[in-house]
Amino acid sequence: MATRLMFENSCEIGVFSKLTNSYCLVAIGGSEDFYSTFEAELGAVIPVVKTSIHGTRIIGRLCAGNKNGLLLPHTTTDQELQHLRNSLPDQVVVQRIQERLSALGNTIACNDHVALAHTDLDRETEDLIADVLGVEVFRQTVAGNDLVGSYCSFTNRGGLVHPHTSIEDLDELSTLLQVPLVAGTVNRGSAVIAAGLTANDWTAFCGSDTSATELSVIESVFKLREAQPSSIVEEMRKSLIDSYV
Amino acid sequence: MVQYNFKKITVVPNGKDFIDIILSRTQRQTPTVVHKGYAISRLRQFYMRKVKYTQTNFHEKLSTIIDEFPRLDDIHPFYGDLLHVLYNKDHYKLALGQVNTARNLISKIAKDYVKLLKYGDSLYRCKCLKVAALGRMCTVIKRIGPSLAYLEQIRQHMARLPSIDPNTRTILICGYPNVGKSSFINKITRADVDVQPYAFTTKSLFVGHTDYKYLRYQVIDTPGILDRPFEDRNIIEMCSITALAHLRAAVLFFLDISGSCGYTIAQQAALFHSIKSLFMNKPLIIVCNKTDLQPLDGISEEDMKLVKEMKTEAMKTVMGQGGEATGEEGVLLTMSTLTEEGVIAVKNAACQRLLNQRVELKIKSKRMDDCLNRLHVAMPKPRDQKERPICIPAAVLEAREKQDGEKQIRKTEKDLEEENGGAGVYSASLKKNYILANDEWKEDIMPEIMDGHNVADFMDPDILFRLEELEREEGFRQAEESKDDFEMDGAELTPEEQEALAAIRRKKSVLIQQHRIKKSTAESRPTVPRKFDKDREYTTKRMGRQLSVLGLDPSLAINRARSKSRGRKRERSPDRGDATGGTMDVDDETPSKKLRMRSMSMSRSRSRSRPPSEVTPGDGFKDSVQKVKALKIAKKSVKKRNKDARRGEADRVIPTLKPKHLYSGKRSTGKTDRR
Repeated sequence: MATRLMFENSCEIGVFSKLTNSYCLVAIGGSEDFYSTFEAELGAVIPVVKTSIHGTRIIGRLCAGNKNGLLLPHTTTDQELQHLRNSLPDQVVVQRIQERLSALGNTIACNDHVALAHTDLDRETEDLIADVLGVEVFRQTVAGNDLVGSYCSFTNRGGLVHPHTSIEDLDELSTLLQVPLVAGTVNRGSAVIAAGLTANDWTAFCGSDTSATELSVIESVFKLREAQPSSIVEEMRKSLIDSYV
Repeated sequence: MVQYNFKKITVVPNGKDFIDIILSRTQRQTPTVVHKGYAISRLRQFYMRKVKYTQTNFHEKLSTIIDEFPRLDDIHPFYGDLLHVLYNKDHYKLALGQVNTARNLISKIAKDYVKLLKYGDSLYRCKCLKVAALGRMCTVIKRIGPSLAYLEQIRQHMARLPSIDPNTRTILICGYPNVGKSSFINKITRADVDVQPYAFTTKSLFVGHTDYKYLRYQVIDTPGILDRPFEDRNIIEMCSITALAHLRAAVLFFLDISGSCGYTIAQQAALFHSIKSLFMNKPLIIVCNKTDLQPLDGISEEDMKLVKEMKTEAMKTVMGQGGEATGEEGVLLTMSTLTEEGVIAVKNAACQRLLNQRVELKIKSKRMDDCLNRLHVAMPKPRDQKERPICIPAAVLEAREKQDGEKQIRKTEKDLEEENGGAGVYSASLKKNYILANDEWKEDIMPEIMDGHNVADFMDPDILFRLEELEREEGFRQAEESKDDFEMDGAELTPEEQEALAAIRRKKSVLIQQHRIKKSTAESRPTVPRKFDKDREYTTKRMGRQLSVLGLDPSLAINRARSKSRGRKRERSPDRGDATGGTMDVDDETPSKKLRMRSMSMSRSRSRSRPPSEVTPGDGFKDSVQKVKALKIAKKSVKKRNKDARRGEADRVIPTLKPKHLYSGKRSTGKTDRR
């Protein structure tokens, strides 16, 4: 089930939230509207935590994490780190890392088994990603963009990547990640996938500009309902052609 | 993509208002005070400005009218024809043409009068010229008054036209009047078109929107069409014809098989055949409506034949598209808008056939290649044997199993916020959901800074474990030490020996320390002669200290050293006053002999020595300047470098920043000025 929502009139909800299979981080906003949308959907299952990182609200772009751990940039304050450690279950390793490219959400994309990383990340950071998140790390680009974290979003069930990714790249990435991938957009044509979409294995949230076609692609590729990724090439194909061309 | 929005055209004022607007603006925005005593050039300037300003305003206003009204030749032919049908193209063009002419005329008038104003020789003449100029401009506008009124009417009408996008997915409903077109659009969209049981209830185009397979379709309801020659058709019918002719849409031809609309099937079939040329290359569906009154099977033989004939015609249009293999189905459908039977089937058939046609066209287009990658689902090839399971908590699966009624609705933060005063008033605690060993700890306040240190820097998750480890280690070490103590401090040494040992050790540690200090500052330390080194300088005090350490009495040596050093001069030389017996007396007649002698012998002045700069033959200097220079260089070359750790010009100096004398007491004039 994908939910459409907005953060204070912005559809880039992936910037203001981080969703994984064992926790959800949400930015502190002016009202509880945004938080409660997540809470209503996830509150009974996983902790939904309001936090800031380095005093900012763009937490989704600054941190990277999965079921096993959470990586925070060196700009995170001690208090925020403590807050997160207190709020997350003990199984989740919270680690602050010294990395020059401190927007970890933009430079790292991961699910619970595999991670893609920016090509310029430190070796130590790469090791830390592997240790803390318990994943295999690949240095990759998505459609020629180094910022893999911004231009793709994937879970253990499927993934959505930048709309200009070529078919060969799609196949290569899919083999690396071991999940089905589709090139697509969110928020009515935005290529910055991770900014408009945040997903885990059983639910997804996307910006409220997202059109019905985009939403149906998202639901099929992330297998959120009965839909399977194959439906994109079968029953949805005609609708997609008509809306793309 | 061009968007057609006629709602944003600015209001066209009528002739009189137009003039008022412009003239009052001229009055308000140009200078108003003038005297006949002013220089003539200034007077001319004053009136010229008024004329020019009025002209620019007219020009601007008229230009907006001309630019904002759509040009019928440039817009989509559907709109072009629709506007022609509604407003008559010639009339429309004429009105805009008149506005354009007026604009040119006004420009010309202004040009002429500005030229004339250059020759105005008095305030009165200039003023008359201005009045004439503005008057003529206003007359021009007054003449185009009817055109302006017509354009305003059109503007108002255009703003109320439905916003039809000619390029999007469109379903067009057409047929005789009163066959149930509007009821159908009301069923499948939320357009809410007026439905009445008489012909021509719908007098213009109406638009609604419906969804099918994630896409949005525009549904257009057209007024009914009668079967008569093209020239006889009225404006209302022509709207339908225009839409049919220009929109690339799926067409639903409605057929009232019950005949309750007042037209027989034969009449309706005749209409179908007369306008069938408009259906070419469009997915056409013949919809038999009102099956609740009369099922399709129940109609008479000849009517059935007509319907079949229409169906074959419709099939032809299918073939004309180039092999859209839909076959029989989706061409002739029956439904009843009253019982809603078959309504959705009709909608789906129309949408599907339109979609198929559009997709077929688009697949052939060039832009298809750009989006092929988006229609590809990359499935992973296995690269290793590792299992990568998905992770869905059991709670989620349980919740999915439950029915909607069973799910208990959770009280969210938003509900709490609403209860407690809304956004901006309610402030939720961030610590509320902490996962801690003891719930009472949640609201505990953690110090951030303690004794000038950041507490977090000393935070260690395993601090208790570490402490234990450290204590264990400490205990172990203590046990070790007590076991084998240092044997030199044993009882075999006498107290003197022990003391000596302590002294040796002390000395040793001091030496080590000194050595370390020296080593650590080895690079930044200056090399200074011993004479100037405060710490190593030879002084009697130091000698005394060292001798006494060795157990010798230093006083003898010190005295000896003192007696050898030169004393102060004053003590040795005889005092002047001593000779006269201690008291100085000015009136003394007999001054000291020495003084007397000097004053007597000083009769001859000393010969003056040669100044060093003077050039003597044989020196080898050209002139004294050269010699001075040479002397200077010589002096400099023999000058010794300052290695005595004295203060030099290269040393960093912090001057007294606040000299006491300048900052204390009353600060009268000049006291603080210390430059």
